[in-house]
Amino acid sequence: MLKYSLKRLGKSIITLFIVISIVFLFMRLMPEEGYFGQGYEKLDLIQRQTILTNLGLNDPWYVQLGHFYKDLLKGDLGTSITYRPKVAVSEIIKSKIFYSLNFGLGALAIALVAGISSGILMARNKNKFWDKLGNGYIVIINAVPAAVYYIFLQLYVTDIFKLPILFDKGNPLSFILPVLSMSLGPTASYAMWMRRYMVDELNKDYIKLARAKGLSNRVIMTKHVLRNAFVPMAQYLPASILYTLVGSIYIESLYSIPGTGGLLVDTIQRQDNPIVQALVLIYASVGIISLFLGDMLMAGFDPRINLEKQGGTR
Amino acid sequence: MKKSISLMLTAMLSISILSGCTKATPKTSDSGVKQEYSTVYSGELTTLNYLVTASENEFAAAANLVDCLVDYDKYGVVKPALAKDWTVSSDGLVWTFNLREGVKWVTNDGKEYAEVQAQDFVDAMKYVLDKKNNSETSNIAYSALKNGEKFYKGETTDFSEVGIKAKSKYVLEYTLGATTPYFLSMLTYVCFMPVNGKFLSEAGAKFGTDNKNLLYNGAYILQTFEPQNSRVLIANDNYWDKANVFIKKLTYSYNKEATTLSPELFSRGQITDATIPTASIDEWMKDTTKKETVRPLATTFYSYFYALNFDPKFDAKYEPANWKIAVNNLSFRKSLFSALDKKAAMMTAEPYEPERRLSNTITPKNFIDLKGVDYTQLGTLAKTSAQSNFDSAKAKDYKTKAMEELKGKVTFPVKIVMPYSTASSDWTNRAQVIEQQMENLLGKDYIDIIILPYPPTGFLNATRRAGNYSFMECNWGPDYADPQTYTDPFSTEGNYNKINLATDYKESNGKGKYENMVNAAKAEVLDTEKRYKLFAEAEQFLIDEAFVIPYSLGGGGFIASKLEPFTSPYSPFGVSANKFKGQKIMDKAMNTENYKKSFEAWQIERAAALKVASTVK
Repeated sequence: MLKYSLKRLGKSIITLFIVISIVFLFMRLMPEEGYFGQGYEKLDLIQRQTILTNLGLNDPWYVQLGHFYKDLLKGDLGTSITYRPKVAVSEIIKSKIFYSLNFGLGALAIALVAGISSGILMARNKNKFWDKLGNGYIVIINAVPAAVYYIFLQLYVTDIFKLPILFDKGNPLSFILPVLSMSLGPTASYAMWMRRYMVDELNKDYIKLARAKGLSNRVIMTKHVLRNAFVPMAQYLPASILYTLVGSIYIESLYSIPGTGGLLVDTIQRQDNPIVQALVLIYASVGIISLFLGDMLMAGFDPRINLEKQGGTR
Repeated sequence: MKKSISLMLTAMLSISILSGCTKATPKTSDSGVKQEYSTVYSGELTTLNYLVTASENEFAAAANLVDCLVDYDKYGVVKPALAKDWTVSSDGLVWTFNLREGVKWVTNDGKEYAEVQAQDFVDAMKYVLDKKNNSETSNIAYSALKNGEKFYKGETTDFSEVGIKAKSKYVLEYTLGATTPYFLSMLTYVCFMPVNGKFLSEAGAKFGTDNKNLLYNGAYILQTFEPQNSRVLIANDNYWDKANVFIKKLTYSYNKEATTLSPELFSRGQITDATIPTASIDEWMKDTTKKETVRPLATTFYSYFYALNFDPKFDAKYEPANWKIAVNNLSFRKSLFSALDKKAAMMTAEPYEPERRLSNTITPKNFIDLKGVDYTQLGTLAKTSAQSNFDSAKAKDYKTKAMEELKGKVTFPVKIVMPYSTASSDWTNRAQVIEQQMENLLGKDYIDIIILPYPPTGFLNATRRAGNYSFMECNWGPDYADPQTYTDPFSTEGNYNKINLATDYKESNGKGKYENMVNAAKAEVLDTEKRYKLFAEAEQFLIDEAFVIPYSLGGGGFIASKLEPFTSPYSPFGVSANKFKGQKIMDKAMNTENYKKSFEAWQIERAAALKVASTVK
């Protein structure tokens, strides 16, 4: 396991290095006027050059890249240049991640509890009322574009329950709708997969054997079906948790939540290279780490899975 | 939340009480209206460091937090602020300011920090001119101050050589590099604001990064600053002129969709004002209740014009060489000049009252005056400013003339490259309208307008600055109170339309006629009357020769606002116009009819005020 982990880590670092270097170089191809605000037209040539030189943007690309990695190794993500000049990137991201993480984890918790329990309920009542109701919900959520029901919720639910239309830090009532909106999609998908895996398991031979052996339905469900059905879902759990860091572009913009959603787009538009680089680093790491943790978790749940051996021997 | 509910209730209550008398003139604070302003915004301040920023959004914030030496009243007359009076030497080079005593710097929690002294202006200037601080307004300062540019470039490291000195605690002296008749107006720019040196050095790189790392001597203190969430300004109890600050609290709430949402929030009584986008103006105008809350929004001093490019560098397939020959022909230029129907073009942005935003001169009306007479009314400019360029008969005559004169030299139809940015749907529509309108009028046998869409990022670099256009909508905003500011885009160093390359206008000194005219005007630094007249003649020449077609002014559109118009400081440049000082909140928004009445009254009062001011000078 250790050998496997080290190998994965090595590969991950190389991937990160390539991704960040490419993004770094792409950012250097952006037009120079983007580093200035509206004032560009009014600046004279000496000023423009002075400012670009001070920002290190007149250095050759390999020198800039070198500086970046040197600082990164010291744990320094740099300071913002256009988004909030001279403020440490880590400080900007930290304050935003706080919001995204809280909203995201809240939504995820709801989705996990509601999704998995309704998946179980549907599987146990296959083709009966609860199953049909659940399927109806899943179909609607998947068929209707998210933007439509998000706006619907914001406009009508705020009106009916007298909830605030925008996020307000001091008013917990304003947290309800964003969290709820964010949990709708994942709830449907957890319910759908949970139901599917459980139905699959229920049709397998070992369940029939267990029934023949006289095991109670309860034991079959909790000890065998649920555990086996959860294995494929476990793989995606770390990703779901870590991806809350990225924030929800749409919900955050709809309710004016100062989270990380949309920060990448904003900072690319404003050509704030240090923030873009830091975000790419974080997002790429999130992707890599969650895949790795997913594999680990799956192996933990199911002792039959061996990550080190190539090919299968039965 | 409680506050917003109470605000909403107050607003609703006042609306219901007054619903019976919608035509009445709105009342202000004297009638007990709560003087608290709130709004939503989508463009966040990137920094509070007023010494480095050149973004209007940011110096609009600074305007309310830090005062300048001088200020403007609501008619645009200069009046004392941090300076109580000043003198200027007879050669116009040395300006001495006597500072108001007892003005305090306070921290963001309202505690007194220090007194504002002459050294604060010196410390601020040293910071602005130190090139490692990346100030985007340093050029404005060093263009005026003696040795300013030398210090910025590092040619001298001794700051005492720069033309700014604290002669004593309360006496500040500026020495200029050359006589600058408009120097006083420059002092309302952010780069001439003071800073407390001790605070600045203690804050270091953190200065202006948040509300705690900033000192205040202006009308308001930034109590809360949470980017992408909210900012709250409260009236400064220690302010030297607090009797003129009526609005006690300003609340800005962030919303990415602020532009779209704000009309609805205004209708619900949650915010004090909202600009009504072109797309929804119809809906507001047709609703009898809503219509009563809408009034025109003042135009700005951004001048928009169509430039004809004398240095075409566009793609060979659009025949730049052919355009270059055509554009050097006066009749050809005049045919385009007379053919552009500005009103039709403006309908894309302002379907109601398009005329209000049209301009027939490059320098906007009400920008500057000579003894109470508006600059655009000087000499022949008066006639030009009253008369539209559009004349279809003339356009056709010029076309016939141009076709004769250019026969055999130019291939018709002349391809005209007209790029536009896709940032606004208005501009996209306008490009199509102009293409159709001009081609229909002049005939497709004569011109072929090619409209080219470009993404907003890097738009100007790809188009105007690269010479990649024949005919294009451009704009320019003023930097100081002098007609010279509107000649900058057409200077030889400028990258607008390079009229210095026009072939028929070279004079004996090798320079173009326009350049010589402008230089003559610039050289006249002591006789303002003569100076303005020379500039007016140069502008007249620019328009007569159809190097540019004046089009419109910025701003405009419609607003629903409870702020009383014509009470804020009036100034086309600097930060004064962004001040909330002097403004009041009315119980309901003013309608168009009342607005127009107030505007007329203001214009009369202003003319009188300017006249008085010019005799005092």
